[in-house]
Amino acid sequence: MYNFAYHRPSSVAEAAAALAAASEGKLLAGGMTLLPTMKQRLAQPSDLIDLGAIADMKGISTTGDGVRIGAMTTHASVASSAEVKAAIPALAHLAENIGDPQVRNRGTIGGSIANNDPAADYPAAVLALDATIQTNKRTIAADDFFTGMFETALEEGEIITAVSFPKPQKAAYAKFPNPASRYALVGVFVAQTASGVRVAVTGAAPCVFRASQIEQALAGNFSPSALDGLTIDSSGLNSDIHASPEYRAHLIGVMAKRAVAAAA
Amino acid sequence: MTTGGIGMAVARRDGPAKVTGAARYVADTPLRGALHAVVVPATRPKGRIAAIDTAAAAAAPGVVHILTHANAPRLGRVSVVLAEDSLPPLQDDRVRYEGQPVALVVAESAGQAAEAARLVRVSYHEEPFATDFDAGLDRAEPVATFFGQPLDTAWGDFDAAWAAAEVRVETSLATSDRHHNPIEPMGVFASWADGALLVEASTQGVSELREALAQALGLDEARIRVRSPFLGGGFGAKGWGLPHQLLAAMATRVLGRPVRLVLSRAQSYTEHGYQPATRQTVRLAARADGTLTGLAHDVVAAGAFVGDYIEAAGWDTAPLYATPSLRVRHRRVRLDRLSPSAMRSPFGGVGIPAVEIAMDALAHALDMDPLALRLRNYAEVEPGTGRPFSARRLRECYEEGARRFGWADRPRAPRSLRDGGLLVGQGMATAILRAFRFPAAARVAIDRNGHVHVETGSHDVGQGLSTILPQIVADALGVPVDRMSLGIGDTALPRTTFTGGSSTTMSVGSAVQAAARALREKLADAGANGPEGYAGALGALSVDRLAADGAYAPEGDEAAGPALFSYGAVFAEVAVDPDLPVPRVRRVVGVYDAGRILNPVTARSQMTGGIVWGIGQALLERSETDSRLGRFLSKNLSGYLVPVNADVGEIDVAFIEGDDPHASPLGARGIGELGGIGIAAAIANAVFHATGVRVREFPIRPEHLL
Repeated sequence: MYNFAYHRPSSVAEAAAALAAASEGKLLAGGMTLLPTMKQRLAQPSDLIDLGAIADMKGISTTGDGVRIGAMTTHASVASSAEVKAAIPALAHLAENIGDPQVRNRGTIGGSIANNDPAADYPAAVLALDATIQTNKRTIAADDFFTGMFETALEEGEIITAVSFPKPQKAAYAKFPNPASRYALVGVFVAQTASGVRVAVTGAAPCVFRASQIEQALAGNFSPSALDGLTIDSSGLNSDIHASPEYRAHLIGVMAKRAVAAAA
Repeated sequence: MTTGGIGMAVARRDGPAKVTGAARYVADTPLRGALHAVVVPATRPKGRIAAIDTAAAAAAPGVVHILTHANAPRLGRVSVVLAEDSLPPLQDDRVRYEGQPVALVVAESAGQAAEAARLVRVSYHEEPFATDFDAGLDRAEPVATFFGQPLDTAWGDFDAAWAAAEVRVETSLATSDRHHNPIEPMGVFASWADGALLVEASTQGVSELREALAQALGLDEARIRVRSPFLGGGFGAKGWGLPHQLLAAMATRVLGRPVRLVLSRAQSYTEHGYQPATRQTVRLAARADGTLTGLAHDVVAAGAFVGDYIEAAGWDTAPLYATPSLRVRHRRVRLDRLSPSAMRSPFGGVGIPAVEIAMDALAHALDMDPLALRLRNYAEVEPGTGRPFSARRLRECYEEGARRFGWADRPRAPRSLRDGGLLVGQGMATAILRAFRFPAAARVAIDRNGHVHVETGSHDVGQGLSTILPQIVADALGVPVDRMSLGIGDTALPRTTFTGGSSTTMSVGSAVQAAARALREKLADAGANGPEGYAGALGALSVDRLAADGAYAPEGDEAAGPALFSYGAVFAEVAVDPDLPVPRVRRVVGVYDAGRILNPVTARSQMTGGIVWGIGQALLERSETDSRLGRFLSKNLSGYLVPVNADVGEIDVAFIEGDDPHASPLGARGIGELGGIGIAAAIANAVFHATGVRVREFPIRPEHLL
């Protein structure tokens, strides 16, 4: 019950202008995190800039080497997209298992990766698939994008407009969901690409990360057995009411194997 | 004619209203110009309030009044059972637990009250606090009595038996703090008119709440009416004399306008109790053939500096097995938290699993079948006292449960059952539940149209009371249940005791039966030989309506009669994916002896609910405390896991029926909490059988099985 200015721009440029003009503006995508945060008064923006009316930011298109997904595309749209299913079925599968139906029909890919929740699913796909994040100012490589817990390379006033995923040779995502929230307690996205194997882990640490140990093990032998006997170091992994670091380390190995088995 | 009498499978009367949304809960009470109140909870576990700045809140839109310890009326001392554990709200500047109400904001709308409550600024003189149970174990103190009776039990010489035993087994079990989490948060609607107080509250004890309100507010009970219209679950949470209930009554009296106060989900973790954690040790001394020579059960329970609640986990250990020596001891560690309280299947529900896990460990140590071990030590008379049991059909429960489950086919060795890549395990445990009975009264009336009205102050917390009472009356009068109406949950109706301790069928049911039989006698005296003659009898008496009262009270010296318990044998099968390794319950068979079953539908529903409750206890439920801040960590259903349908496998419930004339005139015994006892141990024992890992903590988590 406090006041804020609500904007509903119809173009990215208008949105950027509204954001620049606001004293403490916030971009509203699906609002799956921002709105609860505002209800709890953990965020009290002066201006809310709703990106929902910007047609350019929605939709999925096939590109030369993969798919391009508009930042305001909902998880449900990605999950049911024929283009995504054809090019990267693992990505559709990931989107299909985010949260619950309400979240999937409101939440967006741009909102998810801009928020960079440590337990969100999409960051794992973006990082493992070596996607490119397009903003109103530049393009950012996935390896440079996720910088820390709830932190990204996005600058003040920068708006994600789309994410481009190159088509991998093989890919799969396996997650162990929290039974209540369906957030990833541990989620592992594995991808075999022309430039090598990429493995991204979400849920386990303060920020999504590439598991180089697993990537190396899979580099010469992309099969579950390549991960036999692999021990994941639990140092630096999250400890909370849901799981210990040791259990998360164990799950990384299990989920990685399952992802490789599903991809192979 | 089918009347829907005792033993008939009558569908739940409250079912259609619940599933269609027609059921009206306290939060649905029509507003009638009511104000809304929101509790401001303390954010520190211990200290003194340095200052409360209410200026911003008072200036917020819609705010009518703000109560703090500085301006709240002083309350009288409350001495009502269990309500005594609550801290009277806003009486001084001391903070004794996180979540303690330090202010109450009253506003024209619920949103305005909530927003203004956020604007109340409280500063504290903080004091060192203790909320870490394990860190306090070295200052655990003995607890002598429990509801006025000696709590601990001993006979024989356990130490000598332990020293001389051919086989010794010692196991420990740590249980977690658990919250009740009824789907309906507690609410109260209080209005003050013409010097009388009317309260609607989601409570399991209208009479006790009225008594507490009378004592706190210094009012005559006759000037207070308390109603409990419809409860969305209780599980023991919905007590009486709780701070928020007293606050709502206080506010309406101060302001002269109706006040509604509904707790938020988060407040449901601090404005009423919880089941406290325990640390238990069980030692079993036995001969090589499995005959017990000694049993020791040591319980340390978490408690609070506020109130005297003790989780009497060892209370029902003594009647379990024949043993020449036994020692059950309880100690408590007081913490700077709100008082714990009884939660569904308290006491034995927390402690029986510790004993039953030890029995499984003993069976394993002896390479003996766990069921055979229990039969070897079957108690034919009450151990320790030598009293006869009243109708103990536990042996039949074991036999029927084993048959339904297929226990005879179970290979004994752990990790010997597989299903594809899954490890499968089977475990069993005993359930036992003491019979609590309380005074109750009821009235049954009939009119010339043959319509029967049944009245009693008791509550339907979802357990089926409103379904079985008409059945009891139908049995006595021969009038079908669909010609009956029912009034419950109101202090204006014949008085009963709170709904708890699985006492209601025996107590309230017997009072209703007595009233119905008294009415039948009145009708017979007026010439009615059966239902066909009722209208004529009323005509002969020249009345449109004839009523009769009935009452029930437990017999004076219960210790002089036979020992009264309900029993069960529970068998569980779990499957564990060795990679994850998450234990999942695939099927449960529970066979129970609860005396005469009044309604197989509601009885089965009760036991199924209890089994699901036990799945939560064994595998999911845990309220963690942040000991740095002295508060529960996750006050929501995202951080506190409860079982959902996906967690529940196939559940097969059966009863070994038979009257227990000593338990109640109805021949029935307590049933409500029986299903929640033993099941957690059956699951834990199945997890051991599946994995070979003996987990010493509830809930059993995947981490434990790595």
